[in-house]
Amino acid sequence: MEQVLFRHNRPGRCITFAEYRSQGGFGALTRALRELAPLDLQQLVMDSRLRGRGGAGFPTGLKWSFVRRDLPGPRWLICNCDEMEPGTYKDRVLLEANPYSLVEGVILAAYALGVPHAFIFIRRGYESAAANLRRALAEATTANLLGENILGSGFSCHIDLHLSAGRYICGEETALINALEGKRANPRAKPPFPAVKGLWGGPTVVNNVETLANIPDIVANGPEWFRSLGATPDAAGTKLFCVSGHVQNSHCFELPLGMTLGEIIDGPCGGMKPGRSFKACLPGGASTPYFTREQWGIPMEFDAVAKAGSRLGTGGIVVFDEETCMVGATLNLIRFYARESCGWCTPCREGLPYVRHILERLEGGRGEPGDIDLLREQVKYLNYAFCALAPGAMGPVDGLLRHFQEELREHITLKRCPFGGRG
Amino acid sequence: MIPDSLRKELAARVREAITPREAAVDIMKELQRHSGWLTDEGVEVAAELLGLSPLQVEELATFYEMIYRRPVGKQVIHLCDSISCWCMGGERIMEQLREKLGVEPGGTTTDGRFTLIPCACLGNCGEGPTMMVGDTLHGRLTPEEVNDILCAA
Amino acid sequence: MPGLIIDDIPVEVPAGTTVIEAARSVGIWIPHFCYHPALGSVGACRLCAVKLLDGPVKGIQMSCMLPVQEGMVVSTTDAEAQAMRRNVIEWLMINHPHDCPVCDEGGECTLQDYTIAGGHGLRRYDGKKRTYHNQELGPHIQHEMNRCIHCYRCVRFYQEQAGGTDFGVMGSGARVYFGRFKEGALDSPFSGNLVDVCPTGVFTDKTSRFRARYWDYDMAPSLCPGCSLGCNITPVARYRELLKIKARRNDGVNGWFICDRGRFGGREVNDPARPRAPRVDGVDVPWDQALDTFVLRLGELLATHGAGSLALVGSPRLPLEGQLLLARLAEIVSPGNVCWFTTAGEARGVLAALETLPPEGVASLADVRGAGCVVILGVDLLAEAPMMALAVRQAWRNGAKVYVMGISEWTFGSFLGISVTPVSSLDEVPPAERVKPVLIGNSRDLPSARVDEKLWGGARVALLQSGPNAVGAALLSVDHDGASLEELLASGRIKGVVAVEADIPGSWLAGIPFVAALDWRQTETVAVAQLLLPTTSWLEMDGTFINYEGRAQRFLKVMNPGIPLRGLDPTLHPPRIHRSVPPGGDLRPAWRLLAHLVERLGGRSPESPFTGRWERLRDLHPEGEGIMVYTHGSDSSEGGG
Ligand SMILES: Cc1cc2nc3c(=O)[nH]c(=O)nc-3n(C[C@H](O)[C@H](O)[C@H](O)COP(=O)(O)O)c2cc1C
Ligand code: SF4
Ligand code: FES
Repeated sequence: MEQVLFRHNRPGRCITFAEYRSQGGFGALTRALRELAPLDLQQLVMDSRLRGRGGAGFPTGLKWSFVRRDLPGPRWLICNCDEMEPGTYKDRVLLEANPYSLVEGVILAAYALGVPHAFIFIRRGYESAAANLRRALAEATTANLLGENILGSGFSCHIDLHLSAGRYICGEETALINALEGKRANPRAKPPFPAVKGLWGGPTVVNNVETLANIPDIVANGPEWFRSLGATPDAAGTKLFCVSGHVQNSHCFELPLGMTLGEIIDGPCGGMKPGRSFKACLPGGASTPYFTREQWGIPMEFDAVAKAGSRLGTGGIVVFDEETCMVGATLNLIRFYARESCGWCTPCREGLPYVRHILERLEGGRGEPGDIDLLREQVKYLNYAFCALAPGAMGPVDGLLRHFQEELREHITLKRCPFGGRG
Repeated sequence: MIPDSLRKELAARVREAITPREAAVDIMKELQRHSGWLTDEGVEVAAELLGLSPLQVEELATFYEMIYRRPVGKQVIHLCDSISCWCMGGERIMEQLREKLGVEPGGTTTDGRFTLIPCACLGNCGEGPTMMVGDTLHGRLTPEEVNDILCAA
Repeated sequence: MPGLIIDDIPVEVPAGTTVIEAARSVGIWIPHFCYHPALGSVGACRLCAVKLLDGPVKGIQMSCMLPVQEGMVVSTTDAEAQAMRRNVIEWLMINHPHDCPVCDEGGECTLQDYTIAGGHGLRRYDGKKRTYHNQELGPHIQHEMNRCIHCYRCVRFYQEQAGGTDFGVMGSGARVYFGRFKEGALDSPFSGNLVDVCPTGVFTDKTSRFRARYWDYDMAPSLCPGCSLGCNITPVARYRELLKIKARRNDGVNGWFICDRGRFGGREVNDPARPRAPRVDGVDVPWDQALDTFVLRLGELLATHGAGSLALVGSPRLPLEGQLLLARLAEIVSPGNVCWFTTAGEARGVLAALETLPPEGVASLADVRGAGCVVILGVDLLAEAPMMALAVRQAWRNGAKVYVMGISEWTFGSFLGISVTPVSSLDEVPPAERVKPVLIGNSRDLPSARVDEKLWGGARVALLQSGPNAVGAALLSVDHDGASLEELLASGRIKGVVAVEADIPGSWLAGIPFVAALDWRQTETVAVAQLLLPTTSWLEMDGTFINYEGRAQRFLKVMNPGIPLRGLDPTLHPPRIHRSVPPGGDLRPAWRLLAHLVERLGGRSPESPFTGRWERLRDLHPEGEGIMVYTHGSDSSEGGG
């Protein structure tokens, strides 16, 4: 299987600047600065059909094209490396092995967007990824691949690393902007979208690490090549799938976008752990509705997963075996979301603890027949929250209600968790 | 007491920032690194450096998970309690830590060595259960290993 | 102007209006917590849900965040929209105490109203409620965090609107907490507005806690007499006691807010020791006897010393009705010897203001809020007219440059959280920045102030005056050639003074054989007067004030006069004799007493204080924007600025 983002990796350690360069690293940047106008570069990305890897799958080129270039004052680019969604660790794996693709991608994106100053917003706890980035930025600056008048092109770009102090909501792009500005990381209202009014009021693009790390190879090899990487005609590029849970090999794999769930689990993941069988999974991180055996054959690609009632999200696949209580799993997820709510809007701040309470009641054997309807009502109305956190949190609850009603009922009739959970 | 040298260093960091507020998280972290936690004095010093009121610093300090506004032990143990670690038996590790340290989640051992904090995903989901002691990540934990790690820490 | 349909009613509103505001404009009230007309829309509470049935946007939407678009079809009564609102209330009530009977906000609580209106009558949540520690926030505001519904209005008012930095929001998620870094009195001179903006009982007015319920309140639209701005207020009274003061909306004047001085001051009306009975030579007497004595002694004085020996003195705090009748009385008893100012300096300043300012050049508080450039000429606004300072801050928030002359820019700017530029003369304000300029000064300094002609030309000007009705006093001074008492006394002819709610230093009156005072305050003048006729305060009568900009506004009677039940001598309550008035309540408005004297001494009863050019103030409505009466002489403009 073709490796793009992991192409440079060396086992057990981070690659060096020299190694990256010797494999053609920063060639895309050199060429782009010489041969491509910023808008050509943007068109290239548009043609590649690269979709954002941060969770929403928004076409990257299209997002860039929304940036208002006619406003006075600077534009900004932010690379989102907050990665705090449970089950998601691809950006860390990528950056611990190779920070250079991202740095090159950020500079290319900055060039395309006419951004003189970009930020990489990195979560707490990613100390070695941050150290790699710091080193890479210094090396790139020394080599005049970054900083003033890059390679004599007249284009200047600075990249700052911002280390977060930890909150899941900081990954939401407008909350991230507030966090960067040193404000409380509550999300902002959209519209205006960041592309019009973002960081310090200027037009701003926020892209995920993996998204930006793909740019150098798109520039180097062309959009057709990138599109051909997918496993289905609709899917462009590879995807980092980070797998966890009850599989044999729980690692982060770079796979063609559009491989089926079954192929991924039975293939690189080496199947389930010995003696276990597959019950369900979160197909794309903690905010996505569960997949079950029924979705085994679904191509893991944005549209197909959406059509099957879930979301590809971040590509974080969390696999559960048949002994997992899905009420318990959902409760665990909701505990995370309730704790990570920023506290701005009512549905999330008050509704999530309510959902947690209902699930605790069910898991603890104190559930009532009306609780299933009550949950359904919560799922419906929590969707009208201020940002996507609470609706995301409802993903697994929605999945629970659709796929595991029997299990829910059992909790109520038995007055205990059939799997021994205590809530 | 926050030494003058540190104040000067931090003032330079504020001057580098695009707006003083942009440096707020860095300043709080540095002050925390100095005292182990962000003390009231730390909040006041940060306010002075950033041109904010102590309340405005507090608004930020209390938002983030990794800024401690209460004293913590010499080592902070962050145990991931999110889904991937949970399904790999994270709850058992929590039991083990509670028993071994004799503290409830959020508490500090009487000898002041450890503070136990359950936390959101540490980004090590493939190797759950995971905990972070200080800045060091430990994955695929078993109760036995937890004992070893605590002894070594 | 986009047209849309809300609940079958066609609505046309300017582009940029939100659906919640458009609905309001046709009388449809969409429940909301976080939205506030002065604080804007932030979409936090999610209560204002409506359903868009057709048009460019569909489905459930928050009406406060949704700008109107052509062709929208909005339903506020759709079942799904109602269910959303019911859920929001249920979520909020999960952690809200169910003890309205012991909450001071009960009866005037928006959460209570919406909970009942939305039909959330049964609690489905069976867990524990979240509780918080309350902070001590000083003498005025009580903190009860358990009642918080996290609409963020308090912090948005305190930090954004008022520029305060010592109160804010801490924590995240369900642990969000509104308070201070450490306990202690709130710094902002506008802190009392927290009570008004909080939709529940988190912030209540400590000065009136648990004294009465909403439905027991004596309330009426009134005006703040604290300075010359004329802020609109709603005083709340019970059993003849002023309990608290709330801000009353007037977009041309104070907007939605008032300052703490106006809100928490003004309590001398409750003083049981206030003048409460007519008094002659230190002895309480019945009204008839006091009035007879007044007429008798006045006659004696005039007979002995001649017509020019009596000075009639009003004041800038005397409501317009009294000021007008004082002029009438003067015509009868001592023509030419009437004045509405005590000192010559005060009179000169206010009159100079009147002469210098063309009516169209006056800046209202709304003009200040909308200014592009503000120059403050030597007045400490926070000390003299805090709401003017708040208006300057709003101008600054909208991008205006603020210049100060002759005051410490540090105190002013830092206290309001705005940046100001000190200048030493108006010339230093760059001409390019004189966009929609407003000058703010004090009439006191006007006679000596040197003002740049060019800037005056284009600028609107706000000149603070010496009292809530100083402009009324000035207008009458012009009409009646009224000087100041200081000048009248200088002539040496004055042997008698009738002081109507006028503050005359006791020493000035030392050699005067006849001093009569009509007042409701225990002043130096009252203390030395041989004859005292006690009057009602502005809360116990209807009346009119003309504010600094020449805006006549009406206030209505809030409560009956009398010694407050609280503080009443136990021998007086319950009453053991039948009375028609409560103890200490036999007081009369100054203008009625003056009207009585006009009738007795002039032979004809004045049917209304408002005759001639004042006639159009007769039916002035207290809820409107007021009537502009700045020009002395002929015409004057209607409506607010
Ligand atoms: C609650 C929440 C958390 C998010 N966390 C992340 C994150 O950690 N990393 C990320 O790239 N995007 C995250 N996103 C998505 C971002 O808002 C944004 O869509 C993304 O960074 C855009 O990048 P892309 O276009 O490259 O996908 C989050 C969104 C929400 C609502
Ligand atoms: S849904 Fe609301 S409370 Fe939750 S994170 Fe988003 S804005 Fe904050
Ligand atoms: S009033 Fe619209 S969300 Fe609060």
